[in-house]
Amino acid sequence: MSITLDQVTKHYGGVPVVNDVSLDIGDGEFFVLLGPSGSGKSTLLRAIAGLTGVDYGRISLHGRDVTEVAARKRGVGLVFQNYALFRHMTVADNIEFALRVRHMRASHRRERRRELLRLVALEGMDDRLPAQLSGGQQQRVAVARALAHKPEVLLLDEPFGALDAKIREELRRTIREVQRELGITTVLVTHDQEEAFAMADRLGIMNLGRLLEAGVPHELYSRPATRFVATFLGAANLFLARNGAEGIHVGAATIASHEHSPQPREHEVVAVVRPEEVVVAATPAELGSRFVAQGVVDEMVFAGALERLRLRLEDGSAAPLLATADAAATPYLEVTRTQPEQRAFELHPGQSVAIGVRRVHVLPTPLSSFTACAASSAAAETLARQPLLAELAARMKTRIGIRPEPQLGASAAGPEESAPFVGATVISCEPQAAQRAEWLLRHGANEVLVLPAQATVPQRVLIHWMDEAVRPATLAVSESVLRHVPAEAEYVGTLSREVAQELARRLSEAPGQMLIVGVSDLARFAERFSPLLDGGRWPVLVVHRAPS
Amino acid sequence: MSFRKPNVLPGFGLTFGFTIFFLSAIVLLPLAALVLAAASMHWSEFVAMVSSPRALGSYRLSFGASALAASINAVFGFVIAWTLVRYEFPGRRLIDALIDMPFALPTAVSGIALTTVFAQHGWIGRYLEPLGIKVAYTWLGVTLALTLISMPFAVRAMQPALLEVQHDLEEAAETLGAGRFYAFRRIILPTVLPALLTGFTLAFARAVGEYGSVIFIAGNLPMKTEITPLLIVIHLEQFDYRGAAALGVVMLLMSFVVLLAINLLQAWNRRRHARAAH
Repeated sequence: MSITLDQVTKHYGGVPVVNDVSLDIGDGEFFVLLGPSGSGKSTLLRAIAGLTGVDYGRISLHGRDVTEVAARKRGVGLVFQNYALFRHMTVADNIEFALRVRHMRASHRRERRRELLRLVALEGMDDRLPAQLSGGQQQRVAVARALAHKPEVLLLDEPFGALDAKIREELRRTIREVQRELGITTVLVTHDQEEAFAMADRLGIMNLGRLLEAGVPHELYSRPATRFVATFLGAANLFLARNGAEGIHVGAATIASHEHSPQPREHEVVAVVRPEEVVVAATPAELGSRFVAQGVVDEMVFAGALERLRLRLEDGSAAPLLATADAAATPYLEVTRTQPEQRAFELHPGQSVAIGVRRVHVLPTPLSSFTACAASSAAAETLARQPLLAELAARMKTRIGIRPEPQLGASAAGPEESAPFVGATVISCEPQAAQRAEWLLRHGANEVLVLPAQATVPQRVLIHWMDEAVRPATLAVSESVLRHVPAEAEYVGTLSREVAQELARRLSEAPGQMLIVGVSDLARFAERFSPLLDGGRWPVLVVHRAPS
Repeated sequence: MSFRKPNVLPGFGLTFGFTIFFLSAIVLLPLAALVLAAASMHWSEFVAMVSSPRALGSYRLSFGASALAASINAVFGFVIAWTLVRYEFPGRRLIDALIDMPFALPTAVSGIALTTVFAQHGWIGRYLEPLGIKVAYTWLGVTLALTLISMPFAVRAMQPALLEVQHDLEEAAETLGAGRFYAFRRIILPTVLPALLTGFTLAFARAVGEYGSVIFIAGNLPMKTEITPLLIVIHLEQFDYRGAAALGVVMLLMSFVVLLAINLLQAWNRRRHARAAH
């Protein structure tokens, strides 16, 4: 491996900007780190270069641990967004800088410089000053300079940020060619998804300091594992769907998916439908089993080869669509159609159409949605406005359902209607919270989130499972939560027989903590968990899986 | 019909006229009057006046101490400017404002303040005395006063240039294998050299013309701690206007030569880079 990152973590002012990143980058690989601004991708690159120290974790280059090695001894070449050329030096002197530092003979330096200038297609520019070059040319010089000392790794920090589209395209190609010719392991940081697809052998996507997923572009696009990656890489429609015995149910459609694994009990999932996988037709009959719901054309945009449509679902509850843009109050379905599709069925705004899907991808996320549950619907609605819950739902791009349960917590009685509990069920932290949580868990809720009224986004998430059977589920839920909050995770091990008391003690040690606890055995649950849940000041997410 | 380039300020004719008028009325005319006053002397009289041992001693002190003060300010002014530009620390704005104090203070006040501190029984002077270091009433005191009053010129000249030296330049040098000293010598220094020279020039020019602060701390012993501006004032007090004018002309010439030399150095430095471009 050329670059190995092992649990690299870096804080600024107590906030983890790079949070527990582990990654292997192979020899000669072109790896792109993609993420929105502030996701920690540049900090990670600087950590690899040695310009930023890390608080925790190790960095190895070609098997050599360089975590404590100074930048100038790491053997990396770094290209900056604003070129960072030495303005008082000519192109030749800029490129030869690293060679002069190493006391290379003048004739060798000249030879190497010629070679590099040919590589970046700037022959004959030796005696120019940076100020006399265009932006694209300056960045070529910066690339040549970074390669002069034959570094083992080339790092590029948003190298095209300051260039216009055409130059950018050219320079991309040049850098890709240079990289192939030299076979040098390269890491490029960008926020531009198109650029990432165009250049990457492999792609890593960062958000809130975490590396969410890494893989080849095609795989990540067609089979993302997280909501963030699904919506950040290209456009995506997210549906709340049900995973049942025959397939994935999206609205009225049942789609047999090769990803579908028959479940003993139907449960809610998040399904990704790419805009190009949506079909529209005049009547549901034309779509058959692919028919999802009726919709209305809201907006049409001509975009060259493709036509972009925005559809509104006529009955939002039939096929729950999640808003992908943060601000969008009403979620829209995004659709792209090719020219043949447009000719086959012409549309105009306001037209009513039948909507179907060709292909869905189910996210393996265990937290599909939230349901605020209380004895009355007024209380449930108040709970749905709790700041942490609202924040989590917004960040996870999911919705908060309302479910009044008059019998909530009553020892024997079941729910009035037999609708299953889906997603995570949320109750408020009250004196009988433990009893209510037990009631919900016994009636089929898999995850119960117990919330104090004042809780806000946690800085630290404690994780504990009561026995091994529930460990995978607890970890999966924890991962899902941690992807959306910039918090640190800590596993709590305890030998104490009174686990709940011990966990409560740990939670009370510092503010801003949250607990995720896995249980498989519900015997005497309310009694055991009363110290933790009843009137506590911290959010607790209980994950329950029956032992198989 | 001529084409006029639109501009916020009135056109070339008007601004050039103003430039000439102002330079003439405020700079050139008084200087010409000075030369004229000196010219009314006989040549031999003039030479005798400006090359008397007392005058020569005063030049040595004035220009020597000014050059030393400007050099000190070039170095420490650079450090101060660097600290203010590069680091964020509590009280940075306060220190930034303090830099300008010597601008605003009547120079006599600076002189009195310095004398209070550095005189034989002053706050610091009393500790330097046993070490055999005398500040007040020596050339050291003169240099100290000149350093104090010319410091803001050096700092303010360098600050904008240091803002230009972005941190990534050092980081780029570092990833290319350069140590700190190498990066400073090859990257930072060449980038700020023009500003450094400008700072030196301004500090030097200010120091040469300084009068108020020096006379309090210098002691004004002829040949030892007497600066040229003081000598001029002494001549004036004796109603020897022509003598004063003669010394003034010499100061003017010497200052002009020094400033011209530095400006040529700057131009040469700029041309050197421009030449590299062809």
